[in-house]
Amino acid sequence: MAARAFQRLPSAPAGRILVLRLAAIVLSLFIIAGVLALSGHSPVTLAELILRSTLGSRFGLEDLALFMCPLLLTGAAVTVCGTIGLWNIGAEGQFYAGAIAATGVALGLHGPAVVLLPIMTIAGILGGMAWITVPTLARAYAGVNEIITTLLLNFIASLLTYYLTTGPWRDRISGAQVSTQRLPVAIPEMWGIVHWGFPVAIVIVVGLALVLSRTRWGYEIRIGGANPEAARYAGIPVRLRIISVMLLSGALAGLAGMFEVAGTVHRLQGGMANNFGYLGIVVAVLARGSCLNVIPAALLMALILDSGIVMQTQQLSASVVLAITGLILFMIAIGDELAHYRPVASTTPKGKAS
Amino acid sequence: MNKQSAPPGVAPGTPPVLQLRGIGKFFPGVIANKDVDLDVWPGEIHALLGENGAGKSTLMNVVTGIYQPEEGEIILDGYGQTFTAPQEAIRAGIGMVHQHFKLVQAFTVAENIHLGWDEAPRIASPAVMEARTREISERFGFPVRPDARVCDLSAGEQQRVEILRVLARKARLLIMDEPTAVLTPEETGELFRALKAFRAQGNAVIIISHKLDEVMEISDRVSILRGGRKVGTFNTADCNPSMLAATMVGRDIVRRNMRARPEGAAPIAPDPVMQLRNVSVRDDRGVETLRDVSLDLHGGEILGIAGVAGNGQRELTHVLTGLMARTSGEILLDGSLVDRADPALFARAGVGHIPEDRLRSALAPSLSVTTNMALREYPYPPIGTHGLYDAQAAGVLARDIAELAQVTIPDFAMPIRNLSGGNQQRLVARREIRIASRVLVAAYPARGLDIGAIATMLGYLTDLRDQGVAVVFISEDLEDLLNVSDRIGVMFHGRLMSVIDAEAADMATIGLLMGGRDAAGTQPGATQ
Ligand SMILES: Nc1ncnc2c1ncn2[C@@H]1O[C@H](COP(=O)(O)OP(=O)(O)OP(=O)(O)O)[C@@H](O)[C@H]1O
Ligand SMILES: [Mg+2]
Repeated sequence: MAARAFQRLPSAPAGRILVLRLAAIVLSLFIIAGVLALSGHSPVTLAELILRSTLGSRFGLEDLALFMCPLLLTGAAVTVCGTIGLWNIGAEGQFYAGAIAATGVALGLHGPAVVLLPIMTIAGILGGMAWITVPTLARAYAGVNEIITTLLLNFIASLLTYYLTTGPWRDRISGAQVSTQRLPVAIPEMWGIVHWGFPVAIVIVVGLALVLSRTRWGYEIRIGGANPEAARYAGIPVRLRIISVMLLSGALAGLAGMFEVAGTVHRLQGGMANNFGYLGIVVAVLARGSCLNVIPAALLMALILDSGIVMQTQQLSASVVLAITGLILFMIAIGDELAHYRPVASTTPKGKAS
Repeated sequence: MNKQSAPPGVAPGTPPVLQLRGIGKFFPGVIANKDVDLDVWPGEIHALLGENGAGKSTLMNVVTGIYQPEEGEIILDGYGQTFTAPQEAIRAGIGMVHQHFKLVQAFTVAENIHLGWDEAPRIASPAVMEARTREISERFGFPVRPDARVCDLSAGEQQRVEILRVLARKARLLIMDEPTAVLTPEETGELFRALKAFRAQGNAVIIISHKLDEVMEISDRVSILRGGRKVGTFNTADCNPSMLAATMVGRDIVRRNMRARPEGAAPIAPDPVMQLRNVSVRDDRGVETLRDVSLDLHGGEILGIAGVAGNGQRELTHVLTGLMARTSGEILLDGSLVDRADPALFARAGVGHIPEDRLRSALAPSLSVTTNMALREYPYPPIGTHGLYDAQAAGVLARDIAELAQVTIPDFAMPIRNLSGGNQQRLVARREIRIASRVLVAAYPARGLDIGAIATMLGYLTDLRDQGVAVVFISEDLEDLLNVSDRIGVMFHGRLMSVIDAEAADMATIGLLMGGRDAAGTQPGATQ
């Protein structure tokens, strides 16, 4: 007879998830170390180097913060959309749209930073919102699946960026490839190279968490995501809520683009979104639908990205780095699933049935 | 302890199909089952009774592998068994029809029947699946439309699909959790005939029901749970309904005529609160589901709506609560025309709604008890002020509702789907009564309630009446309808056949009307 098995519960307690995720990360680190050792690298030196260049030094921490900033916002964009049960796969495109709009303002208008930066911020937000408008209306009024529409617009935004940075907006001053000239204004720096966008992003994420749990609007979004029919029954204007959530989601991703262009890169460049939009989906999945969890999830993602770059300086190819990233996320997914299982204690001896 | 006397008719030495020994199942803060022993023999229909939250559904979920017991053992045909998943139980011949449907709403009937079925043909076109479904449905005597989408079916029709799903999988032990709650009397009759035929082939049935008459009619033996423990098992022949009720609840239940108003009760208001004038509704396919209905609702009056389910009751409820737009006719609230179907507008006007299918339309099952209890009052103080949502105030509200509804909840932050079916219904009812300052539309509010709770629920309706609220009470139970209604309307094929004075009504007249025949002496159409 089989021993009393494990039981899968529909929900998993947060504590178990945390423990199993830590275990998953540790386990994947061992696997990675093993593979690296077999291929002739020294895992210990590598680990030392990675630690020193991320958490262990001021420059490392600054880098981490810069990576986290866009991830916080794109992660929040996907999370907020998920609350009403929709997937915004287009944060990448909205990121570009925000970056393009902000760049347009910076290149087109002249004035002091105090005037330009707020306009650029608004432009970035509007750019992201504009980019998600069509998917939003198609979803709200025609029921068109938002996953496909938001995804397809990513490619358009990315190509548009290439066109602008090699065409009308190309750098005519220093001749940088696939790039605009350096923008005349920049988000001021707060700590080393970390600009003020970073604390703002943290504040936004915390604020969103509060909005979702503490406002009527947030309540309606949660109900609408959990059971649209019950939302209708309660008289919640589900369509309007879908529109507002999706536009907000686009705005967050657009703002991420603006921060990146005006705070970190200082130019619009082809490919500058760097997958931050797609990684936002990963961050949202790691955060399991909670805005506050976006902060540690973005930190983890930033650590992985940053370590990847360090490894590339050590002659590990980009695809190895990608495989390592995949392995860690895969193990975390397994850990999440295992957290649903609970062993069932048996107190009675079994078998006999007279 | 392990007394093994096979009942008459079972060959000596035959083991029971199912034996439970000392089953214990605990949830945080709740003992759902404790020390439960149960024997079910081949060729018997075994009824399981108990109040809401007594642990009936949990016990059956343990038997079918949805839950693992913390204590005790499950013995099938004399051999100990552990099921880690419902599929294993089905393979061992145990099939269950759940209290809350587990069908895929977007799939057709045929697709749902074939879903996850070992014997389904590898490559099956819709036509093949539909033909097979038609054959199965005829074999077991449950008519279904194989090509219909489940989301378009009424509750009763959906249940038929659930039952067929299990019967088609060759179950030897069929477990049914409150199967008749959503069936019409005819459908119940058909179900019982099918169950008896099933029993005659040496199979066994466990049936959970709150309807004692049905238990008396269909079962061979009865087991009663109270507070998670078994009180006893009895031969149905030695029982009667009042004794069962008393054993179940631990006290006597008195049923009385509740039509009489106490002193100080609000009189029937002369002017109607809500009026329907020649209202018709067409569904997506262009079929008229509500035909030319005219109706006046008066404060201080209970209007009962009788009729076999699926004759337009759902549409009527939805029109009365602003969930469904009419295709023609007029709706008046307080004498002024309502030009659009807007549930928020009706709720603000003081129209409460206990819907037919609470899990699907009145609750967000995955969200917390507190969140669900705030669903009607979150826009208003103390929960909603200046666009904010005060979770603390919502918690206070949830506690209030739970206390009034007499539901003990160990943890208000847990998902509401963890509550027993009857307890969810009680909470929804109390939540809706709170906002029903003018009108309460209650569709089958007693569904899933134990008989003590039914009496309480009917009491809620008369309390509202006495406060001057107009109550629309839709039910299939004529006795309940006659007990509380002032007038009774009968629905047939989307038409309101007739509205008669409950004083003058008798079961026979209503029965005729339910069958679509207009009895002499009643005016067709509506009153006035
Ligand atoms: N998954 C769960 N988590 C926590 N508590 C649960 C869970 N499932 C059931 N319970 C609790 O166990 C108790 C028994 O519930 P159960 O659903 O078995 O009652 P029942 O006898 O079927 O009642 P009803 O007649 O209302 O359907 C209830 O108090 C319920 O809240
Ligand atoms: Mg139950």
